This record gives sequence, structure tokens and C-alpha cells, in this order.
Amino acid sequence: MATKAYDKSFREEVYQNVDSGEDVKLCMQCGVCGITCPLRGEMTHGPRQLWSLIRAGKREEVMNSPDIMLCTSCYSCKVRCPRGVKVIDVMHGLAHYALEQGIVPRKETAKFGKAFWDSIYKTGRVDETEVPMRYTMMAGPIHGIFNMLEMMDIGRALLAHKRMKFKIGPGLPPSKKIRGMKGLKKMLDKAKSMSPGKEG
Amino acid sequence: MGQSILVVGGGMSGVSAALEAAEAGYDVVLVEKNPYLGGRVAQLHQYFPKLCPPYCGLEINFKRIKSNPRIKLYTMSEVTGIQGEAGNYKVTINQQPRYVNERCTVCGKCGEAVEATIPNPFDYGLGEIKAAYLPHEMAYPYRYVIDPSIVETEDGTKAKEACPYDAVVLDDTAKEVTEEAGAIVWAAGWSPYDISKVEYYNFNSSPDIISNVQMERLAASGGPTGGKIVKLSNGEAPKKVAFIQCAGSRDVNHLPFCSTICCLASLKQATYVREQLKDAEVTIYFIDIRAMDRNEDFYTKVKADEKISFVKSKIGLIEPGENGMLVLEGENTTTGERFKAEHDLVVLATGMQPNTDLSKIPADMVYDEYGFVQAAEGIFGAGTVRRPGEVHVSVQDGTSAALKAIQVVAGR
Amino acid sequence: MDKNQACYLCKGCGLGEALDFENLEEVLGEAGISEVKTHDALCSPEGVALIQGDVDGGVNAMLIGACSSRVKNDEFNFGSEVIVERASLREQVLYCSEAEYEGEEEAGEDRQMLAADYLRMSAVKLTKSNVPVPFQLELEPETALLVVGGGVAGINAALAGAKTGVQVYLVEKEAALGGFLGKMAKLAPETPPYQELEDTGLTELVAQVEADDKIKVYTGTTVDKTEGAPGNFTITLSGGDSFRCGAIVQATGWLPYEPEKLAEELAYGSNPGIITNVDMEAKAKAGDLGGLNGVAFIQCAGSRDQNHLPYCSAVCCTVSLKQAMMVKEANPEAAVYVIYKDIRTPGQSEEVYREAQRKGVVFIRRDEDYPKISESGGKLAIETMDMTLNDTVEIDELDMVVLATGLKPNNPKVVDAPLVALGMDQEAAKKLAAESKAQCDDWSVLNLQYRQGPNLPTLKYAYPDSHFICFPYETRRTGIYAAGTVRRPMRVSQAVEDATGAALKAIQAAHAAAEGVAVHPRSGDMSFPEFAMQRCTQCKRCTEECPFGAINEDEKANPLPNPTRCRRCGVCMGACPERIISFKNYSVDMIGSMIKSIDVPEEDEEKPRVIVLACENDALPAIDMAARKGHKWSPYIRFIPVRCLGSVNLVWIADALSSGIDGVMLFGCRHGEDYQCHFIKGSELANVRMSKISETLDRLVLESDRVRVEEISFNEVDRVPEIIAEFMETIEEVGPNPYKGF
Repeated sequence: MATKAYDKSFREEVYQNVDSGEDVKLCMQCGVCGITCPLRGEMTHGPRQLWSLIRAGKREEVMNSPDIMLCTSCYSCKVRCPRGVKVIDVMHGLAHYALEQGIVPRKETAKFGKAFWDSIYKTGRVDETEVPMRYTMMAGPIHGIFNMLEMMDIGRALLAHKRMKFKIGPGLPPSKKIRGMKGLKKMLDKAKSMSPGKEG
Repeated sequence: MGQSILVVGGGMSGVSAALEAAEAGYDVVLVEKNPYLGGRVAQLHQYFPKLCPPYCGLEINFKRIKSNPRIKLYTMSEVTGIQGEAGNYKVTINQQPRYVNERCTVCGKCGEAVEATIPNPFDYGLGEIKAAYLPHEMAYPYRYVIDPSIVETEDGTKAKEACPYDAVVLDDTAKEVTEEAGAIVWAAGWSPYDISKVEYYNFNSSPDIISNVQMERLAASGGPTGGKIVKLSNGEAPKKVAFIQCAGSRDVNHLPFCSTICCLASLKQATYVREQLKDAEVTIYFIDIRAMDRNEDFYTKVKADEKISFVKSKIGLIEPGENGMLVLEGENTTTGERFKAEHDLVVLATGMQPNTDLSKIPADMVYDEYGFVQAAEGIFGAGTVRRPGEVHVSVQDGTSAALKAIQVVAGR
Repeated sequence: MDKNQACYLCKGCGLGEALDFENLEEVLGEAGISEVKTHDALCSPEGVALIQGDVDGGVNAMLIGACSSRVKNDEFNFGSEVIVERASLREQVLYCSEAEYEGEEEAGEDRQMLAADYLRMSAVKLTKSNVPVPFQLELEPETALLVVGGGVAGINAALAGAKTGVQVYLVEKEAALGGFLGKMAKLAPETPPYQELEDTGLTELVAQVEADDKIKVYTGTTVDKTEGAPGNFTITLSGGDSFRCGAIVQATGWLPYEPEKLAEELAYGSNPGIITNVDMEAKAKAGDLGGLNGVAFIQCAGSRDQNHLPYCSAVCCTVSLKQAMMVKEANPEAAVYVIYKDIRTPGQSEEVYREAQRKGVVFIRRDEDYPKISESGGKLAIETMDMTLNDTVEIDELDMVVLATGLKPNNPKVVDAPLVALGMDQEAAKKLAAESKAQCDDWSVLNLQYRQGPNLPTLKYAYPDSHFICFPYETRRTGIYAAGTVRRPMRVSQAVEDATGAALKAIQAAHAAAEGVAVHPRSGDMSFPEFAMQRCTQCKRCTEECPFGAINEDEKANPLPNPTRCRRCGVCMGACPERIISFKNYSVDMIGSMIKSIDVPEEDEEKPRVIVLACENDALPAIDMAARKGHKWSPYIRFIPVRCLGSVNLVWIADALSSGIDGVMLFGCRHGEDYQCHFIKGSELANVRMSKISETLDRLVLESDRVRVEEISFNEVDRVPEIIAEFMETIEEVGPNPYKGF
């Protein structure tokens, strides 16, 4: 039985609302992006399939694809795409657009993003101890502690190499704020108000 | 007839242009950069789709040139300047020394005497050749060449002393000559795209990653392996051969256009492998197979071979793996599967870069953004400097350019 | 002419040390050449001066015993009045024979006998050769061109020809010039940056034709009759007009593949919304693309399909891109789909593909099965396999489905699918293919008054036969050149180039006819076949077998040769059982006498003799190269170059075997569908004739193993010694020719 496809409304939606969304039109389905990606093992669809789904009008699948939040901005795909599609921009654009629509395709990414954001918003810096702690604790106190214990070895190594400061919990002791924190906050608030997505 | 037609490039389109004009009764000056005529097709093992040797047709063309007094030939020569306008050009030709004069009988004594070798340009550097050499076994003009690197060495003297016919001229020098012409046909051809620029194919990481032009030399009986298709790493026959289409072509970061011939070239080369190695498996990785017009029959024939398979995927990474294998990664765009495939010989179907992109015509000309020549008055592009194409299109184009040139000089 | 013969032997390149020149001079003396000179390097300026001195002193026919006839041609050219025969002592004696066999003395003797035989044969050839006198047409040679077909190719051919100053007649069957170009709304982008649709430019082209006083246009006219030959064709038109011309360009274009044949697969005819790309172009031209909200193009509708047109029609991808862009230009909101197997946009057209994508055209890759088209709620819907989604999908809300149908050569008799039909019973398919080919060959736009039929002989799919890789313009009718889509599917820009080139080929053919010389592949050859008519038995073999239809017949079946149609291959000479056809410098008697001049040792000497009749275009160079590469072979082999295997007359085999030669081999090129023969039919005919030779051999009570035909390619250098060794073994098994000594 054939699935209904190629309803044009979703692709038009993407072309109009997503950052660099019109680039999707140019894809010739060669598949190079999916192989270039360092997270190719983690991706369910990869950019090529996502573009194909966008054209076919598969809104649910695209907006809920965790892939759109996996991109680490390594730029490999964008540099190599033979059609010059700005793959990263579209991936981030899709993520923003999904969050804006209240869809959270990959909760972990969203949580990490929040921890990352909170750290910057509060202290003006990314605290290497603070961010992972906040992130792991989002799973709740019990899960959080178990998760942290699991990562103890990495933590020890980081401490030994002085890449991390010792803390007993988020904000204990609190991280030092940068100078000019007020000004930074102003800038971040302004940026937030301009951005189509919310946070992450 | 008053004015000459000057043809630049002695490949398929240039030779066609020169002959067709000369046989219609016009004087022609033919300028070729190499020491021999035939251009890129002379380096091919076979033509698609007939799988016949290019020299069969070239022999006829050379015979036509030999018997036609209207054609004046300059080899090892390049056009360095064009003055004047349509109907009245003065063309400066720079001829490099060959160090061997017309007394040469191709007896081979100088080659025997010389010890130094150079990478064989005819084999795209795959093999070595003595520094006193016949460019290739069927070369026309049939005469030796001495590489400039040995001229002032002991080897140069040895070559001279070995020649029984006084044909070695060590004090030969570059010459600049001027020819007058009413019209010019520019048929300078193409170069294989420098595939090392596509860095994810790691071209220089293994001798078993070769380009399609090198594959032609591997298959040719006059080539570095005597026509045996082998892995250059160890001389053994490959068992799993991959062809990677659009290696640099159809890519806005490299050659944005389609090089037109690479699909058929790979289909053809797949038959070379299958003809020689009955157990070898061939996989062709492609985006679209472009077997235009009657060439579709050839595609149909190749598809019917069970040991040749087609995977729709642009390969995104080639890396040396274990046991001398090469690991190819790609996304099968039909199944969606991201795969790793092991092959022991990888042929990159590299595209055609017009030579006018690499070196411009010394005249006021218009090019498209890829470097292909656009129509002009008096100077006519022919063949692959106009657009990528197969042999018969170059012949057609050369013939057509000859007529355009004749229109300029006719009646003058 | 009175011949003043001399022979020059070269001692260079090792020949001096390898051969006994005194003995060779004796041999030549016995063969009737008493004037023999030797030189240490005959090709050197000193050697050439020696010969030139003699030429100045009256020598006008010479035998040069040196290197292969394929090299040093400039040095040994003493003008068209001096006959030069070359004996290839270097390649065919020195390089390929052993200096001595291990432990035996007689190697030197074998080599010497080999050289002696080549000189004997060349001496005979020299004696029997005459300087060719170019053929002259009775009437003043005509240079005007006839161009048939007033489409884009025809118009361009006419303009290209006229601009060189020749008179052109342009004949178009429709009331106006333009052909399919006149039916097109726009052209796909052809000029940088390859993004904008372009005007057809037809108005300007027609204006140029009308302004050119060298072009006479006949519209609403067809060609009733084409008589004569290059340099002297007489054309009779449907309107009654008649004129002479020197050569012809046939640019009669294409026919759209009949969509009715796709009724089953693609529901053509079931709904007015299902149309072809030709219909679509008409709509676009009429400005009728408004109001389209959903359009799908189905590529390869009947092309690349073993049940319809097995080949790719080459233009349909670009045409659909263009039409899709036109739909988008009329309504940017429209949903436009291209459903394809492979998108084929070669060269710079890749940018056209990108531009169509930028405009929002959506591409869907299908599999081999055709999409299913159905009607739903007053609109059309398509169900197709979507290869990138790996799912069968349905696309609905379509106003129109455009079938990208392909191109056929313009010949109403073309029968399509059965020409190949893989699934069919092979015998039935072959029969059908033969019938359809016969029909195609019988229908013609030129109506040639040729004994072999009115049309250009066709190859697969009814496209005119041509040596389509190296020499694409060569049809099998000299002086008549096919151009544009009648030759193979091609787009407009390519048809323009093709037509321009064809115009030059036509100009050249008329030029050659006036000069009395051959065109391709023996360009410039002044010899031509002459018929000793008093001995003709009207067997018709020459008129039937000529690959180029050069020979007509009178009502009594006497051959009527047309030398300006002739390509000088000698197939007629090979065909003639009465041996009445000869060239001034190539004849049955000449080669026969050469064979008979070979010195055949007595049986007890155990020195067999084998001759190889070798095609001079491919086999001979392969032999040269094999020798140069250092391959050695039996010194009992003697090569005799022939113009084409098709020129081999069976009497030569009889001559050889009856004079004690132990075996005969023929080296020629590949025949069949992928033939390489530059004379198209030569090697094929040789094979057919040789298959019938067993009868002759039986009559002579000889084994058929003694005669063999071998296909050898130019580059099969390493096979040369293998083939020879294997044949020599066979000959040894069969034993000596019982006719030795008779």
C-alpha cells in the first residue's frame, strides 16, 4: 500500500522558516553528508534522508528526528557537500524550529543545552565542573548521583590534569563570575529575543 | 589558397580539424605540445562502446597527415602569443628542443646507452622510462626524444655516441617561430582533475588508489604492466575492484559540471577487469549513471554481468584498512544503510578539467566560470575546451570548428 | 609509361650485419631488377640524395628494401610520378627472426630466404604497378550542396556551407522552415551561467537564410529522385525542379516515440491530463501553462526500455528540466515533480539541474517499473517507488502528468521494440529485426537511384550506419552525410555543431570528386577500380557486395561503376570470380603473382611456407609493433599487406596452395555489430567467403585447416606471435602441401 507523500506544505514551511531551509532543494541525494559526519553511528537518518523526508512532506518524522539536535558543528559535511548545501545551518535551523514549535526531538541535548546556557547566563563562563554536574543532576538526585559515579574515572583524570576544579555539588562552591557580567547578560537577553528558538 | 588555418592541439579534435580543413583544400599549421600526436586518446586502451583500440582510427588519421602536403606540423610546441584579428593573425610558437633530428631511425641504440630514467609521462607517472625514449610504441612522429635532464650529463654524451646516424643533437635549443594565419582552432584538450584535492579520498595514501586515466595505462599492452591489471602495491591481481564515480565532478567545491565521459569510462574499465580476472568482483559507486544515447546499450550489457554491481552512493571516505585492503565508506541512498566496504583496488573516476581553465588562450577570449571557451570571431574552440565530451563529439566538434575557420579564410 | 626500375637496399639498423647483400642482389637480378644500390643509412639525407640523383637521372620506379612502409614516408617520397615499393626488411625480417637457432647453422639461411622472398614479391609488385591517373567526371564537377531537412540542423548546414561561398539548395517538406525548433517554446540554458531559458533563435536563423543569396530554399517540397554520384548528383524535386549538386547533407531529424504505445504502462490516452513532452512544448509555446498547480514529469517514458526504445534519447532530461522551469515561472507556487531513473545532464547542463532545483522542482528517483497513473477526484495521482525513501509513495493533486517520450530517427518505417526485444524468441526477434531493417532501408527521403536501394543503409535502431567513434560522419553512401538527430539522439546545440561539420564533409566530398581522388579513409588516393567489361559474366557480386553502393547495374546486369562514390577498398576486386576488376596499383594478378614468386623449398627440406594476407590498417601495424617489441616468430611466414580483407580474392588462396604454400592466414579486424573495418563490410565479407572455401579445398584434395581467418586488433601486439605459433603447429600436424614441386 502506497503511503501518501509529497504534500508540499511542509517543504514550503521549511524553505520559509528554517535557517538556510531553501538549501534543501539543492540536494541531489548523493549521501556524502551522512558519511562525513563524525556522529554517523548515532544518526538515525542523517542529513540526506532528512532532506528527502522534508521534500516528501514527512513533518512528524523530521521534527521528531533526534538527528537534528545531534550536530556538533564540525563543518565537515558543509565543506564537502557537492551541492554546497549549508548542512549545519539547516540542521541547527531545524532544531531551533522544532523547539520553537514545542517539539523536543532529543531531550538529552535540550537538557545539556540548558545546563550550558545556565552556566553562561549565571557566571559568564562554561565551568567544566558546573555544566556536567547540572546536566547529570537533571535526571533527578538519585539517577544523577549514579550517573556521576559512573563517570568518576573521567573526573579523576580531569582533576589530575587540572582541567577541572573539585566541587561537591552544583554551585558548591559557586563559580567565579566574569567581570562585566551585567553587560554580557544584556547582550544575551537581546540575542535571545532575536532568536527564533528558545534555548539550546 | 591564401591564408592558413592554425590548429592548436594534436588530440582527437585538433587532428580532425586539421585534416578536415586540409582535405577541403586549405593550408593548415598544426601545433602540438607533446612530442607526438594523438593526445589523451593515444593513452587509452580501448574506446567505449565498441571496445576497440584508439590507434585503429589514429593510424588512418596519421596516414592522412603523412600523405597531405598541406599540413605543417610542430610538435613539442606551444602557442605563446597571438597578435592581430580575424583574417590576419600572427601567431608566436615556442618549440622546445627534442635533441633528436630527423635522421633518427628508431634503432633504439641511444635508449640502450643511457642509464638515467624519468617517470613515464605517457603512463601518468606509473612507470619509468629511459631518458632517451620513444614516447610510446605507436608514436607519430616516429622519432626518439631526449629528456632535457640528461643533455648536459654523461648520459647525454653516451646517447650521442651510441647513435650511428648522427641524430642526437645535444646543442639543440628552444626556437621561437611566427606563423601567419587567418583563423585559429583552439583544441588544447583537457587534463585529469588533480584528485588529491578531494582530500577524503586520500589518493596518495595507497598505490592501490588510482585514477581512471591510470587504469587505462594498466590495461594497455604498452603500459607499465604490459597490460596486466594488478595492484601496484604488490603486483598481485585485485579481487575486489571499486569504481568511484563523480570523483571531483558534479561538485561545487571541485568541478561543478558533469565530465560526461566518466560513467562510460568506468563501465568500460569494469569490462577490462572482468575480461582479465574471471573471479574479480567489481562495484561501481554512482550518483546517476549517465550512459547517453546509444551508449545505453553498453550499460545494459555491463549490468548483465553478475559480478559487476552498482551501488547508488557517493563514497565519502577511503582509508587504508587491514591486510592491504582499502575501506570505503558511503551511504547507500536506496536502502539508507551507511556501509563500510573493503576493496583491494580503487579506481577514482576523475573528471575532465578543460586545459583552458589551467592555461588561457593568449588572446582576448571569453570563458564560462569553469574555464570552457565561448564562441568568438576568428578563434574557435573545439572539443573538450568547449565542453566535456566523448571521442566522437570531439571529432564532430573539430570538423565543425574547421568549417568555421574556413568561413574566415575562404575567398581571402 | 616506360618504367626505369631500380632497387635501393639499406644496411642500417643492423640489416648490414644480418643479411648477405650479394645474395640479395642476385635475387633481385633474377627478378628483373639489375640496378641495385646499397647504403648504410638510406633514410639519411645522404641516402635520399643518392636516390634523388637517380630519379633526376630517369629512375621512375623503385624498390626500397629498408624499414616498414609505415615509417620514413617523407624521406622516400619522390613525387606522385615515381612509384615506390617498400620491402620491410627491418620489421618483417630482422626484428622478428632469430639470428641463429641454438646449435644450428641454418637460422641465417632461413632469415636470408625470408628477405629474398620479400624482395621477390616487391619486385613483382613494382613491375605490375602503374602510376594512377585520377578519375575525371565527364561533366564539369559540381560543387553545390543539397541540404534536405529545414530544421535546426538543416538550416545550420545550409548557412555554414553558403558562408564558404558554395551554392546551397535547402529542401524542406513542410510549408515553412524550422522543423521541431519551430515547435519549441524555449531552449534549455546553453550559455553561461546556464540558468536562463533561451529563445530558439529560429526567426534570426530563417532571416539569415532568406538574406543569403547563395541559398535557394524549397519549402513544401520533397526529393523525388537522387541520381548520379559525388560531384555530379542530379536531384529531381517533387515540384518538378531539377538541379545538379556535388554532395548532400541529410538532416531530416527525428520523430517522437508514439505515446499510444505507452497506453498500457502509462495510461496514455485515458485522461487529457496525461500528455507528452511534445504536447507540453506546444502548450508552453501557446502560453498555456497558467493555472497549473501540480505537474509531474515521468522520465524515460518508453526510452531505456527493452520493450520500447532500448537506448537513451539523450534530450528528455534537459527537456523536462526546461519544461518544469517553465511551469515554475508561470506559477512559482506549483508543485512540480520529476520522476526519474537517472538524471542525465552532461557537461555544463549540470547547472541546469541545479537551477531547476533552486526553482523548487522536486526530484524523485524511481526504479525500473513505471509509475501507476490514476484519476482521483478530478485530479491525477501517481503511485511510484521512491528509491530514496525506499517506499512506494502516492503523489496526488496533479493537474498534469507529462511523459518524457524519446526520439526515433525520422523514418516512418521504423519498427521499435522488436528490433531488440530481449524477451522474445531469438529466431523470431532476428526475423523481425531483419524485416524491419529491410523496410527502413527501402524507405528514403533521398530516393537514391542506387542498385543497393534508395536509403542510407542503417545500423541498429534505424540510425544510419557509420564508423561512429572515430569517423562519425561516414555513412555508407559517399558524399551523403547525415547530420543531427537523424544520426543519433542529440540536443539542439549539438545538432548545430554536427550540421556545421557535416557541411564541411560535403564540401570536401565535392572537392575530392572534382580532383578525382578518394575521400576517407583512403583520402587522396588517385587509384580507382577499372573493369575489363568484355570478360564480365553479369554475376552481380560486385554490385551486391560493394559496402558503399558505388556500382549500379544496367538492365542486363552489367556493372556500372561510379568512381566518385568509390572508397577504393577493393571489395569488388575480391568479389569478382572473373578477376576483371583492377586498380592501377593493386590487382588480382599483382598479388597472385607476388604469391607465386615466393620460393617454395622441396618437401624434404622441411621448410614450410605460410602466407599471411594482412589488413594494412590494423594487422600490419600490429605486426610492425610486435616485431619492434622483440617478438620472434617462424621465419617461414610471409606477410602480404592488402587494402582490406574484403579485397582478398579467393583465387589467391588457390594460387598459394597450388604453388606449394602450406598454409594461408588472413589477418583482419573485428566484424559484426561492433565492427572495426574502416570499409564496414570488408572483414565480414572475407569471413563469409572463407567459410565457403572448403569446397575449393576439397576440389584440390586439401585440408581446410590450411586456411584460417584471424581477427586481430591494432593493439593485440602480443597475440601476433601466439597466433603464428599456433598456426605453424597446425600446419606441421597437417603435413606438407602435396602440391609442392608441381
